[in-house]
Amino acid sequence: MRVNRCTAKTTVFVALAATTALLLSACASSGVGSDAATLSDEPVTLSFTWWGNDLRTAATNEVIAAFEAECPNITIEGQFSDWAGYWDKLATATAANDTPDIMQMDEKYIATYGERGALLDLDTTGDAIDLSEFPESALATGEIDGGRYGIPTALNSQAIMVNPDLFEQAGVPLPDDENWTWDDFKQLGAQISAGGGGDVFGVQTWGFEDGSLRTWARQAGDSLYTDGEVSIKTEAVQDWYEYMLAMVDEGVMPPASTVVEKLTAGQAESMTATNRAGMGTWWNSQLTALADSSGAPLQIMRVPTPDGGADGSAYYKTSMFWSVSSRTEHPAEAALFLDYLANSETAGDIMLTERGVPANEKIREHIKANLSPNDVAVVEFLDNLADDIGEVESVTPAGASAMEGLLSPFTEQVLFGQATPAQAAEGFVAALKSAVAAG
Amino acid sequence: MSALGELRTIGHRKVAGSSKEKNENKAAYLFLLPWFLGLAIITVGPMLASLYLSFTKYNLLQPPEIIGFGNFERMLGDERLHNSLGVTFVYVFVSVPVQLGLALALAVVLNRGLRGLSFYRSVFYLPSLLGSSVAIAVLWKQVFGTQGLVNVFIGLFGAEGHGWISDPSTALSTLIILNVWTFGAPMVIFLAGLRQVPQMYLEAAEVDGASKWQRFLRITLPLLTPIIFFNLVLQIIHAFQSFTQAFIISGGNGGPADSTLFYTLYLYNRGFANFDMGYASAMAWFLLLIIGVFTAINFWASKYWVFYDD
Repeated sequence: MRVNRCTAKTTVFVALAATTALLLSACASSGVGSDAATLSDEPVTLSFTWWGNDLRTAATNEVIAAFEAECPNITIEGQFSDWAGYWDKLATATAANDTPDIMQMDEKYIATYGERGALLDLDTTGDAIDLSEFPESALATGEIDGGRYGIPTALNSQAIMVNPDLFEQAGVPLPDDENWTWDDFKQLGAQISAGGGGDVFGVQTWGFEDGSLRTWARQAGDSLYTDGEVSIKTEAVQDWYEYMLAMVDEGVMPPASTVVEKLTAGQAESMTATNRAGMGTWWNSQLTALADSSGAPLQIMRVPTPDGGADGSAYYKTSMFWSVSSRTEHPAEAALFLDYLANSETAGDIMLTERGVPANEKIREHIKANLSPNDVAVVEFLDNLADDIGEVESVTPAGASAMEGLLSPFTEQVLFGQATPAQAAEGFVAALKSAVAAG
Repeated sequence: MSALGELRTIGHRKVAGSSKEKNENKAAYLFLLPWFLGLAIITVGPMLASLYLSFTKYNLLQPPEIIGFGNFERMLGDERLHNSLGVTFVYVFVSVPVQLGLALALAVVLNRGLRGLSFYRSVFYLPSLLGSSVAIAVLWKQVFGTQGLVNVFIGLFGAEGHGWISDPSTALSTLIILNVWTFGAPMVIFLAGLRQVPQMYLEAAEVDGASKWQRFLRITLPLLTPIIFFNLVLQIIHAFQSFTQAFIISGGNGGPADSTLFYTLYLYNRGFANFDMGYASAMAWFLLLIIGVFTAINFWASKYWVFYDD
């Protein structure tokens, strides 16, 4: 059915030039339509929202235009906002029964929306979306309670961004990231701070970020969440805070008030982006933007481990998902567009690694030829990590979406000496548990 | 006669029952209709909905589920809520008196028949228009930042800079200063009030040998009490509802270490970040209660210090 639907509208073009049929591959690639959802005869308009910067918006609009050219029957209305505004808007729109048809979804929110029935189980669209090129471990991150609520767009991994210029300035050799430990990390940081003359620090910030707490917990044989519940032990959080305090005391990190000030500044004003921090914990895909801002030849390195060497604590984080509203009037068309985003080489060529390293392995290979050196480094980092990736990291349970907002007051209390690491760790775990219970 | 006195007289005027006046009443109601519809649809409707939601568990995505007084019981044990009340009380009860004191002092100075009065009045009034805007909050963040104007200024005297906004012991003070800075609105009202003080009282007192300070304390100030009362009620209510400044300056989280976590900001975070809209609605109604209680106390106390000259 669907092949006819999309091609019927383009018959004129096909008549004009037979080769045009090749362009229709995206509409035709997924085989004959499903039983669950059929495409409409009428023109269809779908709303589509994402968060991100201007660069992403320009690329996304280009993808939309390419899709509309292939399926003229479908109009996609794109809308974007910044990260914080995005979730407020999505929550109120959903409460008002006005959810966008297609949305960019995050790991922290997918259970919150999926478990509460706001997202469409994409398996109900039949075989409209081709998932054959996606690794099972990536697909699993979008499955919650047996429903497929999101198609993984791209993958990320925790990484340390190292600024070689600052290492050289301090006269410190670059570390061997296959074997370094947290002690090495701290010592190197202290040397960089010492060689930086007061304005440069070893490490820019610590203690505010979901990904780095998860990694720390995994290295301690613990896990932030298990089966939709908070499972991290307070000892792991306490250790994490104690390490942070040691870094502040030894001058590896800047003073508390600078740390807090940088927290609300944008990525481009971070100490990594402004060449004031020798090392920093980031997601690997952030290399390109950070290197652009800093102008320094930043390098991605593996996260240290307690004893040095891989210990299975590394994990793939799905940088974002494509999800569809459960209330959409056009599930078939939405699935068609998702398939295009996930599998089309044209879309891959336009988006490259802007949203992270594509989870679709075929697309990942395909775009390699078109990437800048930094983008290649991002992809290779993830590829090289493949053998050392441990268990799949549990998805954020419903109710814990605002985990970082709950965490920061406790981290700040530790930084300013208002609470001991033990008190803050206990307070944070209790607050997170109560948020999940209330959710 | 003061402005308030005039309002009263209008209220007391008896409405006669002639048919012409009845028609005029109808016309008046007709003109009021758009406003009334707005009130019903945009204000009263949502308020009733939030009253209902305050007795439910509601995560925005699923239908609300009635839980009686569950949200209010949770509020009793919520330490972050108690902390946010503390922050809000400090903000209201420090910034409002200082702001009104400054407004009154400047109004008295400006009332001395200064040349270019309207210019000064506009300049001082300007911050009131801008004070609760996002732009000013962003500016404030820069001014009090580590590399900000304040640190540059105190650096001139050799003093060491300070992260005013990123230190929990000073962050709230910067917000209080911001609120004090918006003294223009009460100042303009004070100015109008000062114009109403009858010159003959002051002249008579002067003839009797009263000093300037005595004249202010014994004549101007008592006659001004209704205006002070009006400003006090208005500014306290206004300060309790402050939101934008703290939201922007702390990046939405009331930080550092919850030191700028206004009650309204916590309410917002519970509702929109934690999807806990039932609880947030209960908090909203509790805020209404708090404001109501303080306004009632204000009105009760006004019997003892507000003087109506009529």
